[in-house]
Amino acid sequence: MNTGSAAAQLDDARRNVGSDILAGESGLSALERYTAYIDRDLQRLYAAAGAVEGGVALVALGGYGRRHLCPYSDIDLLLLFGEPVGAAGEQVLRKLLHPLWDAGFVVGHQVRDVGELDGLEVDNPEFLLALADARLVAGEVALRNRLQAAFDRPAVQAQVLAALQELAEARHAQFSGTLYQLEPDLKDAPGGLRDIAAARTIAAASDPALLRRHGDAAALAQAEDFLLRLRTLLHLERRRNDNALGHEMQERIAGLLAYPGPSSRQQVESLMADYFSHARAVARALERIRRTAPVPLGVNLGRTRDGVQFIDEQRAALHPESWPAVFQAALEAGTPVADGTLECIRRNAGEASLASLLPTSGHRAGLVGMLRPRRGLYARLSEMHDCGLLGRLVPPFRSIVCRVVRDFYHKYTVDEHTLQAVRNLERLITAPDVHPRFSALLHEIDSPELLVLALLLHDVGKWRDEDHAVESVRMAEGFLDELPLPDGGRETVIFLIRHHLQMSQVAFRRDTEDPEVVRQFAVLVGGEARLKMLCLMTFADVGAVSPDTLTPWKEELLWRVYVDAYNCLTRQYADDLIGRTETAARECIARRPADLTDAEVASFLEGLPRRYLQLFDRRTVYDHVRLARDIHPDEVHLRLARAHASWELTAVTLDKPMLFANICGVLSSFGMDILRGHAMTTPGGLVLDVFQFADAERFLALNPGASDTVLHAIEDVVAGRSSAADRLRGRLRGLRRRPSAPVTPIVRLDGDVSRRYTVLEIVAADALGLLYRISRGISERGCEIDLVLIATEGQTAIDVFHITRRGVKLTPAEQQELTAYLQHILEDEA
Amino acid sequence: MKLLKAIIRPSKVDEVKDALAKLNISGMTVTEVRGHGKQKGHTAIYRGKEYNVSLLPKMQVEVVVTNTICDEAIRAIVEAARTGEIGDGRVFVLPVEQSYRIRTGEQDV
Repeated sequence: MNTGSAAAQLDDARRNVGSDILAGESGLSALERYTAYIDRDLQRLYAAAGAVEGGVALVALGGYGRRHLCPYSDIDLLLLFGEPVGAAGEQVLRKLLHPLWDAGFVVGHQVRDVGELDGLEVDNPEFLLALADARLVAGEVALRNRLQAAFDRPAVQAQVLAALQELAEARHAQFSGTLYQLEPDLKDAPGGLRDIAAARTIAAASDPALLRRHGDAAALAQAEDFLLRLRTLLHLERRRNDNALGHEMQERIAGLLAYPGPSSRQQVESLMADYFSHARAVARALERIRRTAPVPLGVNLGRTRDGVQFIDEQRAALHPESWPAVFQAALEAGTPVADGTLECIRRNAGEASLASLLPTSGHRAGLVGMLRPRRGLYARLSEMHDCGLLGRLVPPFRSIVCRVVRDFYHKYTVDEHTLQAVRNLERLITAPDVHPRFSALLHEIDSPELLVLALLLHDVGKWRDEDHAVESVRMAEGFLDELPLPDGGRETVIFLIRHHLQMSQVAFRRDTEDPEVVRQFAVLVGGEARLKMLCLMTFADVGAVSPDTLTPWKEELLWRVYVDAYNCLTRQYADDLIGRTETAARECIARRPADLTDAEVASFLEGLPRRYLQLFDRRTVYDHVRLARDIHPDEVHLRLARAHASWELTAVTLDKPMLFANICGVLSSFGMDILRGHAMTTPGGLVLDVFQFADAERFLALNPGASDTVLHAIEDVVAGRSSAADRLRGRLRGLRRRPSAPVTPIVRLDGDVSRRYTVLEIVAADALGLLYRISRGISERGCEIDLVLIATEGQTAIDVFHITRRGVKLTPAEQQELTAYLQHILEDEA
Repeated sequence: MKLLKAIIRPSKVDEVKDALAKLNISGMTVTEVRGHGKQKGHTAIYRGKEYNVSLLPKMQVEVVVTNTICDEAIRAIVEAARTGEIGDGRVFVLPVEQSYRIRTGEQDV
């Protein structure tokens, strides 16, 4: 570009814009022609700048991107590189920018590489807004497309809208929020050109149909043309980028545009009357659009005052897989689904199959995740039900729609009873002080969405008049096969459906003061996790029969059964051992895989607590049998594996002093947080310990060979080659002490509850190494630990030990001594 | 006439009802109540912590019977509700002066 001739040509181009406008041409078309002239200059510069690795795209931003470049406006550019900018890129930059500067342009330029587009939403707000009008002038189309894809992400769109609202507020505040300025700024004042761009950007990012309502599109186009004409003339008169239409310029431009009137004052009044008319139309349109525009929440999803809605209903109708996401978004946003969107689904739901609604495992997992109890779940499920979607997503549910049951108790149809039961769970979350014991239980459940799933299905068999639990199970099984549930999740849901009446029958109809009644119920349930779920299911189900059914009286009975069964499961299971003739054991032996023998399985199981077969599925049992193979007195056989978000360590050995404490100590020395676990010992001396622990520091995940390091450390400590205490001491020295949760430590010993053992219960604030110190303390007082249940509920550790001393239960004096010793340890901990 | 007010275990309601039905006593009022007798509740343990359950859930069954079958009805309730353990409950016997049927206004004899 020859600087002198280029400047002269530029002056010509600028003058031509003014002439065209004064000749009556629209401002928009005159400026498009001027913009095209600038584009050509830039394309020439780009061609001369040379190539760079990864390519570069020259992108016009803001008013230049819209082709509304006024004669003395800044040229806003993005130079988007395919690779991080190196020396060659710097060279290209110089070749593009220096000639523009030499020609007298004010260039507002941004330089980015595509790698930076990933974090676009946190880029500066003005830049994000300018991207709304990005247009490729020269260079790589692929880079421009990458930019567009990044810009279209909902998170970026939401950020653009937020920035737009904030910047518009600040800009309007500079003008006291009024468009009635005597000397208005054509670009920045309320009702000015920036407001037109803002209205269009909001509509484009949220709902393009907004502009079509109330005739706003036409009003904005007319105002824009008018304002651009004034701004162009203003620039040419002032020969700079000045947008303030002062009194002097009003007179001059009114004259140039030949406004009617005998005096310049009247001409100015006519001009300004036109200005205020257009500015008013712009301000109203912007206000309306700001008020009604949906905030983008996802693909084709936005939030308005009416709730979450599809932006484009026609498009949504063609994509049934997008429908569940509306309800998920509404749950997350804490708002309803908009009526129009519900109507759209209602019109189309009749033909939707489960495969079309949930085509991938991701969609199916999304449905399961959506069922987590929280505020709004009942309302969203009710909306899904009303528009016919719930029955399509959960096909067995269709059999109970408006199903009437005639009895003296139920107040609602079966479908509404089911949803009310879900609402009862939701209320345990939203109003935790009303039923605090049950609210606390719900927080202890690992997968509460399974509970909601079970509730949705528990009465689907009621389309038949008899034995509905059996029919519900039959109908649920096929549907559950379609869902990606966590390990054991399907069995848990089936169990809850099959036995959903059992706990209320025991609580309200049976003599729960008879220990045998409680024991049988505990045997049916099998473990604490299922007990908690069944208790909550019963609470929710009974409460949904009618508003008066779950009286405080019934609630108390239900809670008592829960406590009695919980105690039975955690404190009284030690005397109940697996025998060779046990049905479950026989079944386990009969179905053994080929690599195991009957004798191996039988001798492994014999003498373990009966509870063992309820805690572990057969596949895991066989793994344990393999691990116990050929075990010798000096050995410990270990297996470490991932278990969802946590890790599981299984240890099999022959009884050794301090074994349990040593394993706990080694795990803690690696920073592992032991969440739950079981330790079991047979009368023959076989020990099986299973620990689930969290690896918060990701030591196992991040370090190759870390699993072996942990296993070798355990082997060394168990074999006496190193000390768990030394390992843990080093760890604790480097640990910043966390403030403990406000849990008063409880140490309780009971010599009556079990025939063979003294049962020790400990409730204390969870802390690194806590289990090690407790179990070491027990061993130091000469006690043997035969069975352990480890549980962690939030910040509280709840551990139950079955212990003996010299093979028999502790005497009252020994109990007292141990209690004092452990209290001392726990107080030190606190 | 007598009003029999029986405080019984919740699990015994059906058995008491059946026993009274055998005497052709079919009308009754059953209410969920809470209270304690001589044993004044008991101590329960949950997660190592003791808590006192002082008011126990019970059922209150009320029936009005003629003087002629009063003793038989009391016997039926006691036998049906008994487990032999503490907490089986009580039967109170109260005199009833008059009784009216609301639908017709007639007085029961």
